Amino acid sequence: MSSSTVSLYLDPQIRDWVLFPITVVMILVGILRHYVVLLLQSQPKKIPRHAIREQRALIRSQILRATSANSPLPPTYYKVISQHLSQAFADGTYLKDGPPKGDASSSTPPNPLTDPAAMDGMMAGMKTQMVMMVPQMVIMGWINFFFQGFVLIKLPFPLTLGFKSMLQRGVETPDMDVRWVSSLSWYFLNFFGLNGLYRLILGGENSADSSRDMATPFAAAAAATPGQAQDYNKLFKAERDNLEFSEGLHEWIANDVDTRILKKYGRLPAEAK
Amino acid sequence: MSATATTPEAAAQLLFQPNVQYNNARLYTVKFLSSCFSGAVAGVLGLENTLGFALFVFSTLLTSSCLYVKCKGKPAKFVPGGWWELVNPGQENMFSFVLVWTLFYGTHAPPTLFSSG
Repeated sequence: MSSSTVSLYLDPQIRDWVLFPITVVMILVGILRHYVVLLLQSQPKKIPRHAIREQRALIRSQILRATSANSPLPPTYYKVISQHLSQAFADGTYLKDGPPKGDASSSTPPNPLTDPAAMDGMMAGMKTQMVMMVPQMVIMGWINFFFQGFVLIKLPFPLTLGFKSMLQRGVETPDMDVRWVSSLSWYFLNFFGLNGLYRLILGGENSADSSRDMATPFAAAAAATPGQAQDYNKLFKAERDNLEFSEGLHEWIANDVDTRILKKYGRLPAEAK
Repeated sequence: MSATATTPEAAAQLLFQPNVQYNNARLYTVKFLSSCFSGAVAGVLGLENTLGFALFVFSTLLTSSCLYVKCKGKPAKFVPGGWWELVNPGQENMFSFVLVWTLFYGTHAPPTLFSSG
């Protein structure tokens, strides 16, 4: 049984020809991935003005409601905007196809599987997933083919024996310390550790980030269908109720600012009415 | 004019969004670079096991105290989430630290014994 104080002496050529090349290749492949995804992204479809107006009307009322408890708007302004929006939602003036006719309640939202616009979104999501996965497979295969059968580096920290089979694949020594690892584990270390570097070089929204691959693949596809399947009439009605609720909640932050300032500068006794 | 922020939403409302994003990006860069450099230091010094991780913790604390001073003592004005956002090194930076540490530890080659068995 070898003692743990005996250490192996590694050929420095291993370091030059394996360690650095693997790291450099992974960095470059990550950058390549990012640009490929950028090129593959199709131009978002232009939506007609009425459709945009419909979406924006909803967003406008949400923005108004968001700050109603600490609102920077005085009560008169807030109520005017709120009631105008409420009326417009009730009448359906912002709807894409104009105010609803008598049979509006029977309209169904377009099915996402048959709607061509939604399909584009899902395809784009799946394409990015494929682009992410393929280079990883290729690099793993390359490493397994060329860099197999020797230990590469010694880890500075200990691991349990359970990791031995994973980290020392290809090196059949039952007694060697788990800290000596093969090149595949160097690949994994790089895989996790280079994300920060990508973020530094490529900016925050880069596609080379491996932490994004961990998220469910269809979350991105679902997020890419922004409300084309939604019935705006119903949304507007719901929004009306929210607007009324927020109107009741509305509180102007400058409500008694005169009293507050006087108190702050000591012109008014602190326990005044 | 400064309304005291009593609720988390009210506190978030007082922050200007583009500034917050810029701050977050800078913060991330600082943390990443500090974890890389501390990894290099740990590797070159030949630190093992707990000593290495202790260096990581120490460098995190040092970085966050520098950031705290830079925030003039009021982190809530600059980042949403207060002081924990400053201290937390982030999961990715942990991996980066280990990567750079292993790299420098391996290439600096601690004193070797030629083993025959």
